[in-house]
Amino acid sequence: MSLLIATTLDDALAALAAGARPIAGGTDLVVGARHGKAPLPASLVAIDRIESLRTIDRSADGGLVIGAGVSHHTIETDATIGAEWSALADASALVGSPATRHVGTLGGNVMNGSPAMDTGAPLVVFGAEAELASAAGSRRVDMATLWVGPGRTSAAADELCVAIHLPARALRSGSAYLRLEYRRAMEIAVVGAAAAVTLTADGAVGSVRVALTAIAATIVEVTGLTGGSVADVAAAAQAAAADQATPISDLRASDRYRRHCIGVMARRAVEAAARRAAGETIAIPVNRAVGIGMAAGATS
Amino acid sequence: MTVTEPHTARPAPRFVRADGPDKVTGSGRYTADLSLTGVLAAKFRYADVSHARITRLDVSAALAMPGVMSVLTAADVPDVRFGPFVQDRTLFATDVVRYEGEIIAAVAATTAEIAQRAVDAIVVEFEPLPVVTDLEASLAPGAPLVHDGWAGYGAAEVVVRDRNDASFSSITKGDAAAAMATADVVVSSRYVADGCHAAPIEPRAVLAQWEGDKVTIWTSTQVPFDARAGVCETLELPANRVRIIVPHLGGGFGGKCGFHYEAHIAALARAAKRPVRLVFSRREEFLAPDRRREGMIIDITTGMRSDGTIVARTGWIAIDNGAYTADAGFFSQLAAMHLAGPYRVPNVSIEAHLVYTNHQPSGSVRAPTAPQACWALESHTDELAKAVGLDPVAFRKLNAVDTGAEGPSGQTYDEIGLQQCIDAATANAGYGQELPDDEAIGVAIGWWPSFSVPSGAYVKIDGDGSGQIITGAQECGTGAVMTLRQLAADELGMAPEDFQLVYQDTSVAPYDMGATGSQTLFNNGRAVVNAAGQVAEQLRKLAADHLEASPDDIVLADGHASVAGTPAATVSIAELAGIAAGGELLIGHGSGQPPGPPPLVGSTCVGDLGMAAFVAPQFSCHAVRVKLDRDTGVARVLAVSTAHDSGTIINELGALGQVEGGVLMGIGQALTEGTTYDDQGKQRNAAMLEYKLQTCADAPPINTHFVQIATPDAGPRGAKGLAEAPNVATAAAISNALAAIIGRPVRRLPMTAERVWETLNEEAAR
Ligand SMILES: Cc1cc2nc3c(=O)[nH]c(=O)nc-3n(C[C@H](O)[C@H](O)[C@H](O)COP(=O)(O)OP(=O)(O)OC[C@H]3O[C@@H](n4cnc5c(N)ncnc54)[C@H](O)[C@@H]3O)c2cc1C
Repeated sequence: MSLLIATTLDDALAALAAGARPIAGGTDLVVGARHGKAPLPASLVAIDRIESLRTIDRSADGGLVIGAGVSHHTIETDATIGAEWSALADASALVGSPATRHVGTLGGNVMNGSPAMDTGAPLVVFGAEAELASAAGSRRVDMATLWVGPGRTSAAADELCVAIHLPARALRSGSAYLRLEYRRAMEIAVVGAAAAVTLTADGAVGSVRVALTAIAATIVEVTGLTGGSVADVAAAAQAAAADQATPISDLRASDRYRRHCIGVMARRAVEAAARRAAGETIAIPVNRAVGIGMAAGATS
Repeated sequence: MTVTEPHTARPAPRFVRADGPDKVTGSGRYTADLSLTGVLAAKFRYADVSHARITRLDVSAALAMPGVMSVLTAADVPDVRFGPFVQDRTLFATDVVRYEGEIIAAVAATTAEIAQRAVDAIVVEFEPLPVVTDLEASLAPGAPLVHDGWAGYGAAEVVVRDRNDASFSSITKGDAAAAMATADVVVSSRYVADGCHAAPIEPRAVLAQWEGDKVTIWTSTQVPFDARAGVCETLELPANRVRIIVPHLGGGFGGKCGFHYEAHIAALARAAKRPVRLVFSRREEFLAPDRRREGMIIDITTGMRSDGTIVARTGWIAIDNGAYTADAGFFSQLAAMHLAGPYRVPNVSIEAHLVYTNHQPSGSVRAPTAPQACWALESHTDELAKAVGLDPVAFRKLNAVDTGAEGPSGQTYDEIGLQQCIDAATANAGYGQELPDDEAIGVAIGWWPSFSVPSGAYVKIDGDGSGQIITGAQECGTGAVMTLRQLAADELGMAPEDFQLVYQDTSVAPYDMGATGSQTLFNNGRAVVNAAGQVAEQLRKLAADHLEASPDDIVLADGHASVAGTPAATVSIAELAGIAAGGELLIGHGSGQPPGPPPLVGSTCVGDLGMAAFVAPQFSCHAVRVKLDRDTGVARVLAVSTAHDSGTIINELGALGQVEGGVLMGIGQALTEGTTYDDQGKQRNAAMLEYKLQTCADAPPINTHFVQIATPDAGPRGAKGLAEAPNVATAAAISNALAAIIGRPVRRLPMTAERVWETLNEEAAR
C-alpha cells in the first residue's frame, strides 16, 4: 500500500493520474474499509493538507466557492454560509459527532455519493455545481449529473473535486435542511429534505426547490412544485415528496414509514425556509429548533 | 416523609476514585493492551447458521498453513457439559450448532490475519435443522427441540424443565382465579419486548500463558472466580493451578459476567506452547457471548375493586433463553417477581417460562428481566389507574408496598422507602403541572433485591503506615471497589488515599462473586469492614501499651490513636505501624456472615431459585418528562427525576453516577436499543451504527434523590445495592409518558419512533 501526502493540487492530480485514490478526512473511506464495505485502495493520496482546497471565497456574482477540503465544522460555524446558504450549514451541523465534523469534508461527503449524505439535498436546491479537476483540465457539473447511483459518481477516476460552487442567493430567499433522526449524534439520516424558497414581495412563495435524502438511489429533486401561499406550498411539497419517493425497507425504517416521514420533512423544510426567507433567524441546525430536534431540557 | 429538596449542586467528591486518573489519562492498562513474548493471536470459527447438524468438519488445511500453531475443536478438549443451572453447553460445538455465534473451532497463529485465513480454511458442512425463533411456537407441543437430549442433561435440582422450557417458575399466593371473579374491574394486557445488549465500551479480550502445569489468564471478566471455576471445570484442573487476573475492565453491564473464552484461550496456549491472545471485534461482541438482555412476551391481568384496590393478579411470561441456558436459569422466577411488582396483591398467580430458541443465549445484563417486566407491569398499571379513573400516582400510592406491608410473594417488609420515593420523584419532576399537549410526565416504580453471598478481603498496614486492601472484589466501572477505601479508612481513622487496592487476582485475594448482582459493596464492604476492624483492634492494643491506657479508651481518628478525653495522649498510626513491623504484623481478614433470606408466608413457588424473597430490597421511582413529535413518532426525553431507596449512601458522587448511567441505559432500552433478527434467527444490527445506544448529546438533565433509611441486616452501615436498581423503571416511565400523550400504550419495546407512529395511527384509525 502506498500513501502520498500531497501539499499542492498538482501533486495530487499527478498522483490521481497515476492511479491513486484521494483520501480527505477518511471518515467514509477508512470506516468503510474497517467494516468490510470495500478494502482500502492500494494507492492513496491524502489531500487534507492542500491549502487551496480549504478556502471559502465569494465569487464575482455574489455566490460562494467552497473548497472540497473544507470541513463540516467550518461550514457549520461559517457566518456567511449560515446566513445565506443556511440549509448547507443545517446539514453539516448534523454530521456525526464533533470529531466527525472536524475531519470530515464537504468534498468527501459529495464524492462518497451516499444517498443518505446530508449535504447533498441542500446543494441540489441551491443549484450548486461541483468543480472537477484532473491533470488534463477542469470542468463543472451540476449535482444531478454528478451522482449516478449509490456510492457512484460520474467523475473519472483521475478527477478530483476541488470546489463546490454555490450561485448567489436571491433577495427574500431562505433555505433549510431537516432530517429524521433517532438520536442527536452519531446518526445517519433515516430520511431528509432540503428546501430553498424565494418569497414574493407580499410574502407568498414565488419559487421553491425541494430535494430529498435517503429515499432513492441518489439525492432526488421533487418535481412539479409551483408558487403559492406558504401553507399551500408546504402541503404540496409534503404530498409530492411522499409521492415521488421510492424508499426501501431496511433496519432503520420501513418503506411505508419513510414515505410518510419524507413528506413531513419536506413540509417542515419548506416552512422553515420560508420563515428564514422572511427574515427570521432560526438557529443552525434547524433540526434542533423544530419537532424532533427539540433540545433536551428545553420546555417548548 | 423524608426530605424532597431538589438536588441542586453536586456534592464535592469525598475522594478521587483510585482508578480514575489511570482511566482518564490513558495510563491504565486493559487486557487488549497486554502482550507477552511470543504471543499468538486467536480467532474463532463460528457456526454462522442458527441451527444445523455438522456433517463434516475438517481442519487439516488450516493446520497446514504456515504460521498456524494450533487448531482446536471439541475433539481436543475434555468432553464436559457445563452451565450453572442446566449443563447444556460445551466449549466447542459437538454435533449440532444452535446459534450463529457458537464456536466450532479455535485457531492460534503468529498473526491475527493468518489466524483469520486459517479459520476461513476450516471446512464445515451442515445439514440444516428447523430454526426456532418464536417463543410461543417453541413452547407448543410438537415444536422442534433446540436440545434433543435435554432430558439427559445435568441440572440444578430446583430447575423445572420440559423440552424447550429450560426453567419454569411460578408464584402462587391466595386464590387468584376466585378473587378475579369477584373483582369489579379487570384489565388484561399483552406487552412484547425485544432483546438488547450490554454493549460495554471494551470488546472482550483474553490472554493466557502456561508455566509448567499452571496457567495465568488475563481476561476482561466481571467475575474472575467464576471464570476460574469455568476453566477448572472444562479443562479439568484444580483451582490452584489456574490464576485469573483482570486488568482494568472497560465496562461490562453484566455482559461480561459468567465464564466465556478463558478456557478456549488457555487450551490453545497449552497446545501451541506459547501465550495466546484473543481480542474481540465489535461484531463478535454483539454475536458470540451468552449474555444479552432477553426478549419477552408478557401477559398480565389485574382485578380491582372499583376504588382501585388491587385484589388479584395473574400473569404469563415467555422469556427468550436463546440456545443455551447460561446464567438465565433464575430469570423465570425473577421476571415473575417483577411482573407481580412492589404492590400489595393478596392473590397472585404468575407463571414464567425460560424458552429455548436458536437465538444467541441470554444472560445477566444489568437488572436482568427487570426493565422489560417493569415496563409491562407499569404500563399496565397506568391502564389500571385509567380504568378506575384514578391518577396514576395516586393509584400507586394506594397499592404500592410500604413498611410493614405484605408483598406479592408473602414477604413482609421492614422499614422501606418506596412511598417516600414516589413522593420525592414526582415532586421533583413537577408532576401535576400543566404541560403542552405533546408533553407528559410518566411515572413508574421498581424494585430490586440485594444479593447476600460470601465474600472476603484482607487489610494490612505496612511498616510505613500505608494501607492495602486486598480484595476478591471486581471493579466493573461502578466504583463499588473504589468505595471500599472509604470503609477501611473510616474503620481505622485514616484517609481513603492512605489505601491502595489490590484486586482482580484470584491467586492473591479471597473469594468474591464478582461485579454481579449489585453485590460488591453489600458483601465485600462487610468483609472489608471486618478485616479493617481486626487491624483497628490490633492498633488499639498497640496504642494502649504505648500510651499506658486501656484499649477500650483508644480512639482512631485523623491518622492517630488517642486516649479518649485526653487528646494530648496520642500516637500516629504510622508510628504504631513501625512498631508492629518489628513484631506482630498489622493484618486483618474479613468475610462475615451474609444475611439470610427473609421469610415468605402464604405463597408457594414452583421452580424456586431463591428470587421470591428479597434480601434488603431496593426501591425506586422514576418520573420522566417526554416530548413527542406526533408527525414522526420521535420521542425525546426532556428531564428525568429519580428517587431511590438503596439504604445508606456511602459515596454520593459514585451513587449519582450509577443512577445517571442506569437512566441513560434505560432511555436507550425504551426508545432506540433493540436487537432485530432475520427469519433465520441471525442478528441484523450487530454494529454500533445500527444498534443505537444513547449518546451524550441525548442525555437529559437527571435529578436524583436518595431516600436513606439505614436497613437492618443489610450491607455496611445499612447500605443496600445500587448498580442495577436505576436501570429498572426508566423505560416504564417513558412508556407511561408516551401513553399519556397518545392515549394508549405502545406495546412493543423498544418503543421506536416507527412503533410509536404506528400506535398513533392505530389510534387515529379508531
Ligand atoms: C461516526 C460517523 C458519523 C457520520 N455521520 C454522517 C452524517 O450524519 N451525515 C453524513 O452525510 N455523513 C456522515 N458520515 C460520513 C462522512 O463523515 C461524511 O460523508 C464526510 O463528509 C466524508 O468526508 P471525508 O473527508 O472524511 O471523506 P473520505 O472518507 O476521505 O472520502 C470519501 C470518498 O470520497 C472520495 N473523495 C474524498 N475527497 C474527494 C475529492 N475532493 N475529490 C474526489 N473524491 C474525493 C474518497 O476517495 C472516498 O471515496 C459519518 C461518518 C462517521 C464515521
